[in-house]
Amino acid sequence: MRDAYHKFQRAGIEIYAISYDDQAVLREFSEKQKIPYRLLSDVDSTVIERFGILNDQVGRGDAFLTGIPYPGVYITDEDGTVIAKSFHHSYKKRDSPEMLIDAALGTIQLDDDGESASDTTEALRVTAKVHGGKGTIRQGVRRQLVVRCELANGMHLYGEPVPDGMVPTTISLSGPPGLVIEETCAPATTPLHLESMGMTLPIWHGIVDFVIPFYATGELASETRPLDVPAVDLELTVRYQACNDEICLAPQTLALPLRVSLEVVDVPALGMHTGHGQKEGNFSGAPHMARLILRKFRQNPLGLPRLIWKTVGLEWAARRRRAERK
Amino acid sequence: MTIERDHHGFDAPVPLGHPARAGLPRGHPTGPGVGDRLPDFKLPDAQGRIVDYHPSRGGAKSVVVFFRSAVW
Repeated sequence: MRDAYHKFQRAGIEIYAISYDDQAVLREFSEKQKIPYRLLSDVDSTVIERFGILNDQVGRGDAFLTGIPYPGVYITDEDGTVIAKSFHHSYKKRDSPEMLIDAALGTIQLDDDGESASDTTEALRVTAKVHGGKGTIRQGVRRQLVVRCELANGMHLYGEPVPDGMVPTTISLSGPPGLVIEETCAPATTPLHLESMGMTLPIWHGIVDFVIPFYATGELASETRPLDVPAVDLELTVRYQACNDEICLAPQTLALPLRVSLEVVDVPALGMHTGHGQKEGNFSGAPHMARLILRKFRQNPLGLPRLIWKTVGLEWAARRRRAERK
Repeated sequence: MTIERDHHGFDAPVPLGHPARAGLPRGHPTGPGVGDRLPDFKLPDAQGRIVDYHPSRGGAKSVVVFFRSAVW
């Protein structure tokens, strides 16, 4: 969010980030990580509960975890009315800031940074670019490959369904294991009426943006170990047939290779964050963690020993599972 | 701690089944929906100033993010 802040400013969108952290840690976090937007402290989770998103699988007896929300985002219009929202079933998965801005504005705001791959044929120029995160791949953060197809004058591509013998446009992406690639999103087609043949075909013409969301999971990038590789190779395949009112060109298959870097995640230094980098400043999470544990302990003294006991039990079970797999 | 991957494919420094790994269940409500006005709320910011959400927006669009922690 911090790196995309200028994009929010340009779009005139205000950012509010809310957690149950106390002001002291938010102040240091904001200074050390140079966060320019509002970090709000909901220490007793009052607002989290008011919104109805308190994590109810975490009990009162779960020590410092008590009071966390199910993480998510609301995007509002000028009146404070929700126009879009984003919640995922894994707390590690979230939408990129660029996707939030696009949802707020209703269009894809492509940026100038990041590398792109392109290919040009007689009828079509295809440009593929990673939208978000300066063009990198990051664990859990959904970013998008934007595939822009610029058609020559008068030419069009087909959506589905089309009769046998005609080639609809298919755009797909392949990548390394651990990269989750979602279905290609296409804009709406326009109907082309062919009086002579008595049929209507779904077509795209002019400049068409297809979007392929993706994110990294543990196999590719994980907070529990440093990055295995600095970058990975993806391949975009575009199969299409371009026609105009008179003729159809032969169907084509374009293969565009793309090399995309993996992003190092920057977090406060805390023992459990074993794989992360520390790009900026020395930010030790230990004193803040201690204060958080103490704050929750005062509210529910039995919580801490119970959580420790539960954690030890789960850890033993995990070790048994690992021993059985060997 | 043993690192185990969950069914989403993510790793974490705590074992499977730990409450820290509990995600949003299917069908669980997620607060205000599209078309609803966000509730009023007033919270202190990192510098200790009280922020009243709706007035502070100044008639601009907004993005309101709930995250788990800046500490862990």
